[in-house]
Amino acid sequence: MSKGAMADLKISGLHKRYGSVHAVRGIDLEIPAGEFTVLVGPSGCGKSTLLRTIAGLEEADAGTIEIGGRVVNYVRPRDRDIAMVFQNYALYPYMNVYENIAFGLRARKTPAAEIDQRVRRAADMLAISGLLERLPRQLSGGQRQRVAIGRAIVRNARLFLFDEPLSNLDAQLRDEMRSEIKRLHQEIGTTMIYVTHDQIEAMTLADRIVLLRDGQIEQQGSPLTLFERPATRFVAGFLGSPKMNFVPVRLVESAGGVSLELEGNQGLALPAGSRTRYAACLGREMILGIRPEHMARARDGGPSNGHVRLETTVELIQPTGSRTYITFPLGGTSVMAEVDPHEVQKPGEPIAIDLDLNRAVLIDPLTSRVI
Amino acid sequence: MTIDRPLLRRPAVALSLRYAAAIALTLFFVFPVYWLFIISFKTPEEIFAFPPAWYPKSLQFANYAVLFRDGDAVTVWNSLVLAGASTVIAMVLGTMAAYSLVRFKTGGENLAVWIISQRMMPPIAIVFPIFLAYVWLGKFGGFAWVDSYHGLIVLYTAFSLPYVIWMMRGYIEDIPLELEESALVDGCTRWQVLWRVVFPMARTGLFATSVFTFVFAWNDFLFAFVLTRTEVITYTVQVTHYFGGQSNFWAKIAAMSVLGTVPVFFTVATLQRFLVRGISMGAVKG
Amino acid sequence: MAGMAQTNTIDGASGFAVAPGRAPDRYFKYWLIAPAILLLLAIGLFPLIYSLIVSFQRVTMLDEDYSFAGLVNYAQLFRDARLWQSLLHTAIITAIALPLELILGLLMAQLFLERLPGRQIFVSLLVLPTVISPIVAGATWRLMFDNRYGPINQILGWFAGKPVAALWTVNPDLVYLGIILCEIWQWTPFMFLILLAALSNVDKSLTDAAEIDGAGYWRTFFKIVLPAIWPVMAIAILIRGLDLVRIFDIIWALTMGGPGTMTETISVYTYVQGFQQFETSYTAAMAFLVIVLLTVIVTWAIRRMGLAK
Repeated sequence: MSKGAMADLKISGLHKRYGSVHAVRGIDLEIPAGEFTVLVGPSGCGKSTLLRTIAGLEEADAGTIEIGGRVVNYVRPRDRDIAMVFQNYALYPYMNVYENIAFGLRARKTPAAEIDQRVRRAADMLAISGLLERLPRQLSGGQRQRVAIGRAIVRNARLFLFDEPLSNLDAQLRDEMRSEIKRLHQEIGTTMIYVTHDQIEAMTLADRIVLLRDGQIEQQGSPLTLFERPATRFVAGFLGSPKMNFVPVRLVESAGGVSLELEGNQGLALPAGSRTRYAACLGREMILGIRPEHMARARDGGPSNGHVRLETTVELIQPTGSRTYITFPLGGTSVMAEVDPHEVQKPGEPIAIDLDLNRAVLIDPLTSRVI
Repeated sequence: MTIDRPLLRRPAVALSLRYAAAIALTLFFVFPVYWLFIISFKTPEEIFAFPPAWYPKSLQFANYAVLFRDGDAVTVWNSLVLAGASTVIAMVLGTMAAYSLVRFKTGGENLAVWIISQRMMPPIAIVFPIFLAYVWLGKFGGFAWVDSYHGLIVLYTAFSLPYVIWMMRGYIEDIPLELEESALVDGCTRWQVLWRVVFPMARTGLFATSVFTFVFAWNDFLFAFVLTRTEVITYTVQVTHYFGGQSNFWAKIAAMSVLGTVPVFFTVATLQRFLVRGISMGAVKG
Repeated sequence: MAGMAQTNTIDGASGFAVAPGRAPDRYFKYWLIAPAILLLLAIGLFPLIYSLIVSFQRVTMLDEDYSFAGLVNYAQLFRDARLWQSLLHTAIITAIALPLELILGLLMAQLFLERLPGRQIFVSLLVLPTVISPIVAGATWRLMFDNRYGPINQILGWFAGKPVAALWTVNPDLVYLGIILCEIWQWTPFMFLILLAALSNVDKSLTDAAEIDGAGYWRTFFKIVLPAIWPVMAIAILIRGLDLVRIFDIIWALTMGGPGTMTETISVYTYVQGFQQFETSYTAAMAFLVIVLLTVIVTWAIRRMGLAK
């Protein structure tokens, strides 16, 4: 993020209602130029509404939207200097690929020679030069998406908006296109706002993730920040695949510091220095959050600093090829851990697991916030 | 921070303009109907008032009473019989035929095209040969076809069939094949499948199509005009009996027209949800 | 789903399986469609053949001469100036009324396309003219156009500032205007309904994309919306066009083809020949000519509009 650069997009106090549904409730957002921002969240969180309001396809009920320092609330979409890629591609069915891409330029009365040059350059960039004569219905899903992107980039707009562009593609194509989009952003460097419900897309593409929930921003920041230092239980559980494990615990004093008491009278000692951190919550019920990849099969020798060793039994084994996920009971619930494929044989096996509590988080169940 | 908003983009202004246009249009399209209706309720002095009376002082039913007293009102009954019978027959035969076309592709594309093309026949060109044929039948058949109920019913039915078949084709295509196949597996005969599965599933389509078919026959003038004399007169032909070279029987024209129009208004008003879909389905699926 | 018993034949491309060996079923489809086809043949085909035969004879109501006379009636058709006049009149009415109905219907559909509280009520009212019998519509306007007691002249008088005496059904300068006005009044709502449905079905994301791309109102309309609604619009044009060529009721109610034969369309002239002049054979030939003409026009129109049938 370049400090001092003028924010390319600034949203203040935005509200949008549909009848009785309050889709966007007071959003403040500032996006510097050139950044790739991903709006992510579960369905119904307001991300698409927010995007469409930025585009001007919907009118905000309250608040302001500024693009390049100019308030655009009542400016028509075509005058906001934006480009948009839709989930269903929205290619004009009765024009061929060339005309589809050229449409915006023709509308703005660009000279024909320049149109030709820009269309061909965009087509080259997206490897669709051979398809210029075809009609949309003759193209595959991936090809259509490229044409849609081509139509967007050819206008050199200031702001690019993507509305779940990869949702209609199959998994393999999605991976491919994700890389394409990331590469595109590196090449042309335009400010991009990307909406998705897929947290993997969010993590891999974003310079900044804005996680939305029920019309409000739950947390925003770089992918790693949200991943390693989630602000709330929702954020912690949303990012990361497989999901973070949540175990109900009680924070108690113990010899040498503080530890967590689990159902079944198990005790997990927290790392040194935890006492000061969690002093205010002593004696309370809390929720422990620990990711599968922060657990491992115990190695020879004792557990490292801040780690805790457990003896337990394997309930379920789910191999994926490169990693294997095992489920075992902890604190009254089942949790998932990531292990090497060859470390377990079958369910019912006893196993020793090292939990890295340095990387775990404690959540206050009353506020759902991470301490 | 106050933001300037262009005049036309204010919802209030745009909405008011649209309402103004909508009201102007509605006035244009409804006024003549209004005019017709109020003439039927006016006294002769009000009808021939100059300048015209824009609304009657009170609703006079005298004009209608005259129609009933003179027996002219029976023409509405005639229209009902003719339109009703022909609609029922056309719906039954037409839906059966449509089913045959859709599920069995009977006669292939050619038969379907020929059927549709029958609708394109100009009524005047059809009615004349029919007239000749009916006269001939009357001479050789023993009983009259011209100026008869059955004569017109047969004609209306035949003329409605292409439309019914065309519309019901679309509706039947919408019924999932699995429903019929599972009924067959359950032991139904083909006829039972038709009556127990297809007809109920296609209710909305049957409804909409029969309303249109009925209205067409009910409103017909040319066929009834050519093929009737004195025995079977429909309300449409009756209205033209009140035209005069020099002067018209205004009150009677209006009253008879209203008598013939109110049933249709009523039907359409109550069923208009289905009907919009009916028109557009026929057009879109055609 | 339970396994289909004995399904090793498929009847037709619809995939509807037919169990072999159940012979009565094989004719089921014919039984279904037979009554309809028979009726259509009886009414559509046989009278046609009969009248074709009559057209080659010299029959009138008074003098029934059934001898074969060859093409004499058809030759007469081509020499009949009044016939060609009537075709011209028909063409004029169609060429003026059809585009007007289309454009007005389109404008109205656009007006009511977006949300409007009370839209249902407006639409129900606007549809009224279409459900009236055309003869009643003609009768209504006949009363409206009355020189002395009709509201039209009264309203015109307000604008003109002095009483207006316009003889709409008799004055040669006004008759076409009157007929076309009544026709448009009755049938624009039909166009309106169909176009409203078609416009509502246009994919909104296409117009969104066009809006963002920078297309103005007209460009979006001609390049995006129009191609999308064209199939429906073409059918509506075909139906209305056909009805206009066959127009009879409205003309009969307003002018009966007058003054003289000024507004005589082909349908009116055919009627006059058959039921006022009683020229049976000649009328049969004319009816046949009309059918041929219409078939040609319809085939041409269908092909031209790209409705592959």
